[in-house]
Amino acid sequence: MNGEIIAFCCEHSAYAAADVVGKQGLHYPEKLRVIRVPCAGRVDIIHMLKALEEGAAAVLVLGCEDGLCQHLTGNVRAKERVKYSETLLTEVGIDGGRVGMFNLAANAPHKFIKIINEVNDRIKERERENDSR
Amino acid sequence: MPVRMGIFLCDCGGSLKNIDFPKVRENLENLEDIAFVDITHNLCLEEGEKAITSRILTENINRVVIAACSPEFRERNFGELLEKLRLNPGLLSLANIREQCSWAHEGDVTRKALELIMMAVGKARLLQPVERKEVAVNNEVLVVGGGFCGMKSSLELSQLGIRTTLVEREPTLGGKLKKLEGFYSSQIEAMIKAIEKAENIEILTSAEVTGVEGKIGDFKVRMRGTKEILRSFGAIVFATGYKTEVAAGDFPLKPGVNIISQERLVQLLQAPTLEARPETIGFIFDLSDENPRFPTLATLNNALAVKQRWGSEVYVFCKNVKVDSEGVEKLYREAREDGVMFLKFDKNPKISADDGRVKIDAEDTLLGEEIVLTCDLVVAEEKLLPAEGTEGLSSLLKIRTDSQGFYQEENVHLYPVSSERKGIFFVGNCRGDLDLGRVLADISSVVAKVYELLPPGKVIVEAERVKADPQKCVACLTCIRVCPHRAVQLVQVDSEKVVAEISQLACDKCGICAAICPAKAIKFEGYSDDQILAQIEAIGVS
Amino acid sequence: MIVAERKPIEEILQMIAPYKKVLLAGCGTCVTICWTGGEKEVGILASQLRLARGKEGDKADTVEATVERQCEKEMVEELRDKVDGVEAVLSLACGAGIQTIAEVFEDKPVFPAVNTTFLGSPEGEGVWLENCGACGDCFLDRTGGICPMVRCAKGILNGPCGGTRKGGKCEIDPDKDCGWVLIYRRLEKQGRLDLMRKYYPPKNFRVVKRPGKMQAIKA
Repeated sequence: MNGEIIAFCCEHSAYAAADVVGKQGLHYPEKLRVIRVPCAGRVDIIHMLKALEEGAAAVLVLGCEDGLCQHLTGNVRAKERVKYSETLLTEVGIDGGRVGMFNLAANAPHKFIKIINEVNDRIKERERENDSR
Repeated sequence: MPVRMGIFLCDCGGSLKNIDFPKVRENLENLEDIAFVDITHNLCLEEGEKAITSRILTENINRVVIAACSPEFRERNFGELLEKLRLNPGLLSLANIREQCSWAHEGDVTRKALELIMMAVGKARLLQPVERKEVAVNNEVLVVGGGFCGMKSSLELSQLGIRTTLVEREPTLGGKLKKLEGFYSSQIEAMIKAIEKAENIEILTSAEVTGVEGKIGDFKVRMRGTKEILRSFGAIVFATGYKTEVAAGDFPLKPGVNIISQERLVQLLQAPTLEARPETIGFIFDLSDENPRFPTLATLNNALAVKQRWGSEVYVFCKNVKVDSEGVEKLYREAREDGVMFLKFDKNPKISADDGRVKIDAEDTLLGEEIVLTCDLVVAEEKLLPAEGTEGLSSLLKIRTDSQGFYQEENVHLYPVSSERKGIFFVGNCRGDLDLGRVLADISSVVAKVYELLPPGKVIVEAERVKADPQKCVACLTCIRVCPHRAVQLVQVDSEKVVAEISQLACDKCGICAAICPAKAIKFEGYSDDQILAQIEAIGVS
Repeated sequence: MIVAERKPIEEILQMIAPYKKVLLAGCGTCVTICWTGGEKEVGILASQLRLARGKEGDKADTVEATVERQCEKEMVEELRDKVDGVEAVLSLACGAGIQTIAEVFEDKPVFPAVNTTFLGSPEGEGVWLENCGACGDCFLDRTGGICPMVRCAKGILNGPCGGTRKGGKCEIDPDKDCGWVLIYRRLEKQGRLDLMRKYYPPKNFRVVKRPGKMQAIKA
């Protein structure tokens, strides 16, 4: 990998939202790679760490809005795992901001774009900081 | 058996112009386990189906990758096609090169398209077939609660040919209908007769549910009536209703002889003789902030009954008359024509005792004036609460209740009648404040769902889509505790070992158990750790 | 079961700093269940090490393996091929497992990645509470099945210290329950409160000789 953004997208929310983005002819950075999951709660810590090991710039988990997970606790568990991954990364000197959890609904294509763009901006900023050193 | 993969690339009628399809094909053909890479124009149309069919019938492939539009559209159709061609649909892997690639970016996206397809290829290599099998299910339904909702549900189920058992803890059917005036009460006699007449409805009165084990298709229910009963059902519908309580907290005076509940009013109305007919009756609601519909309905109904039976003067004090339910607008107009007076307040009125009667001191928002009324009888606002025993039942069933104690729907918007356990449903006011229109919709919805889930005889399930490996399972109970659908149970595999078993009928395939299992014993075919990691590893390799 | 917690990462990194190729060995029993040293945690720690070392430009060689019970010599023996190929072993098992693997592979440095903390039971999702002190002289018969040696912060054996806080919480640590309140309520439920009036002499800790040894009946 070379600086891609990996996004685990729950099929009920983010994956559907990403489809709507395409249908509406809206755009986002090409470096995004989406991995479809049945629920954000399927995503585990090792998936996020391995993605970073492979060279991803950032790993995101995108799930349903609070209280609206069809499987009740999937998005909550995912958030805990993302938080824990942040600590594991910080422990070994890796920027914990490279993993993140976001919530959105299937009818929110603009939120999807906003999230990806914000993450991308942060990545570019980090690259600039690293270059200037 | 070595993997032999067939790849279909769809250019969506030639419209995905920012992908260089021949280049993609060139890159893929070189891989050693790829049998062929075809570029097609419309995989979703008949020509596409023909293209897939002819290839699968002639080539000896055991994995299929399709790069086309979103799987949300096509996954099912392609899967069905593969099944027709005797290839297990579990061996299909899809790449979304349209909505999430060609349509989502400016400029040439050939590289990304190729990577997305490589991700699908990486996953496909590890896919295993998932067999579908028939399981026998018990398609008898238990309806708990013999009130309006329970009776109506039983009748509708029975009309679809579904054997139903209706259990009620009181000695007679009817529930709250027996205690309501007007519109609802006329229905009871007819409904009870219809139920008694129906051949496939069994009535159990003076009986209560004391335990439920098992899962959809096979719920083992313990009931206690005159004796202990143990029966098996395919699905359970709870219509356990509600109770009302005077919202005493908001009321400055204690309920007593002349501050009464709606139920008490109905008792008085239905009593054969009455000592003294109350001349002035005041109804009051909207004192708390909750604004449910129920008080409006009860008030209008009973106010009309008062006018008809006693001819008293009737005043209704409220913030808003909520007429957004079926038939209520009409009731409101009838009430006004009959002389019921409605007074709207903004600030809560002052209520005090006055020489054996009750004084209400309110500021009417329309007149802008203070109105003081002394009533013989005040019917106080009531809160709608879950029926007695709801809390006990819900912990027995291991289903959640919401913050007010009513049963919690699986998803308020999308699945309002289902609980989080497949096969257990709720209808009516045991879910919270509803009106007749929504209750009837609920009932039809439940009946349709039951019919869908438990067709006559057998159900086809994916055997072992999500499976706990008995060799690796250490029976730590985590998956059992964590499954939001209560689909996992402990079973004995031999004389010593107990392991977790996931019911394919009840499983909703979320993967939460697969992620959380500390021993990595649960494999979720299609989304296993290996299959996810294969997708990660395929990125950037092009 | 035995409960353990992962050591601070700096300690672990320091231990294995001189070694390039390391085997991370997990155990499939207690430490798997308490989320500390099973196959999953081996994978996560290995990934962390690779990320840490990758950053310093030193690609680490990490080998991962988990055996069913690391305190069984025969099961540990299965790792021989993997151990031969590495310079050191980082074990995520409890102290018993670590020492077993160290004994079987005597010539290899073996390091503990976890601290073995206590014997306990699950209290809620993901929470374990110590409830046994392995004193070798169990007297749960007199305390309604609750051990004051462990559940009482002061470890006293003849009733509460008198400093119990409101809500039945411990004087020393307000987050902990007062062990003796728990015992009282349990005995009350069973109608055996008379046991609390009996005096028991101080415990004989010499019963447990270190290291303890147990010979089961040879059947």
